Amino acid sequence: MFRIAVRASSALNNAARQCLKEQSKVVTAVRYSHGKQETDEEFDTRYLNYLNRPDLDGWMLRKAMNDLTGEDLVPEPKIIIAALKACRRLNDYSLAVRYLESIQWKCGNYKKKIWPWILQEIKPTLTELGILTPEEMGYDKPELALKSVFDM
Amino acid sequence: MSNHLLRAGLRATILPHRSISLSAVCTKNVVLEQKLKDEIHPKIGNREIVGFGLNGLATYVDRCEFPCPAIRFKEDTPEVLKLREKEKGDWKNLTLEEKKALYRASFCQTFSEINAPTGEWKMFLSVILLSLAATGWIMLFVKKFVYPPPPKNLTREWQEKMLQKMLDEEQGRIMGISSKWDYEKLEWKK
Repeated sequence: MFRIAVRASSALNNAARQCLKEQSKVVTAVRYSHGKQETDEEFDTRYLNYLNRPDLDGWMLRKAMNDLTGEDLVPEPKIIIAALKACRRLNDYSLAVRYLESIQWKCGNYKKKIWPWILQEIKPTLTELGILTPEEMGYDKPELALKSVFDM
Repeated sequence: MSNHLLRAGLRATILPHRSISLSAVCTKNVVLEQKLKDEIHPKIGNREIVGFGLNGLATYVDRCEFPCPAIRFKEDTPEVLKLREKEKGDWKNLTLEEKKALYRASFCQTFSEINAPTGEWKMFLSVILLSLAATGWIMLFVKKFVYPPPPKNLTREWQEKMLQKMLDEEQGRIMGISSKWDYEKLEWKK
């Protein structure tokens, strides 16, 4: 048992000595090479480029929407506009409304502050494409009740 | 129920690898192999597979975190297909009813329906209050019929007599109880 303890402590000692040694430049370069922080602009451009691809299909568009919903942010209006235009190109009206709902959900407790501004920014696109907001669709309040699966 | 869910999970089928691949676009639509088709389509009927969804399974689920499920909610009935044709034109020509029909063909619940209050809290509250009430009744019953009467030295008279005796005997003259009693004025020291 003691032998194990001694071995472990010597290993620790070695490791500590390794860490304390002055690191060569190569090592530092490797240490920090796992990517840099993406700025907000880069993030926006990345998604804009993605959504503006001419060969974007419904599968990719849905992936982008799901991913954007997973991010800790409310997308910029330009991203939303790009997504709505992608919906138009793919002829999927329901997806556009669904995504607007998702945006509203992402606003969370600040919906009263954020959503009017977003709406003001995307309003021209909505009018141009003929997309109704969830409120205009009557989806801001529950429309249909769903029977519980346990009662079926 | 968990058993049932587990079985359902095992039965659900995994979509092709495309879904998790990070490489660039497929230039053509995803075409399922015949084997996979035979496996998936009896379960989802004629519903179109449209995306990766929540976890790559060809299942429909309404979740706010994943607004776009993997398959459409409704099968491609002739009416829906007709609407889809009309959807290819200008969306301004669609009436509100048609737009709603299109939405419901793709999705089951709107976000406000997903997040609608279920009223379940009333049941929980009632159960909590009922159990508290039951506890009270049980306590009353037990006190009345089960426990023996409390020992006599818990009564007020007994304790007053006890105190008088302690003062008479001058217990704790230096630091204790009697040091706080003024024997001249016959009252507690201030």
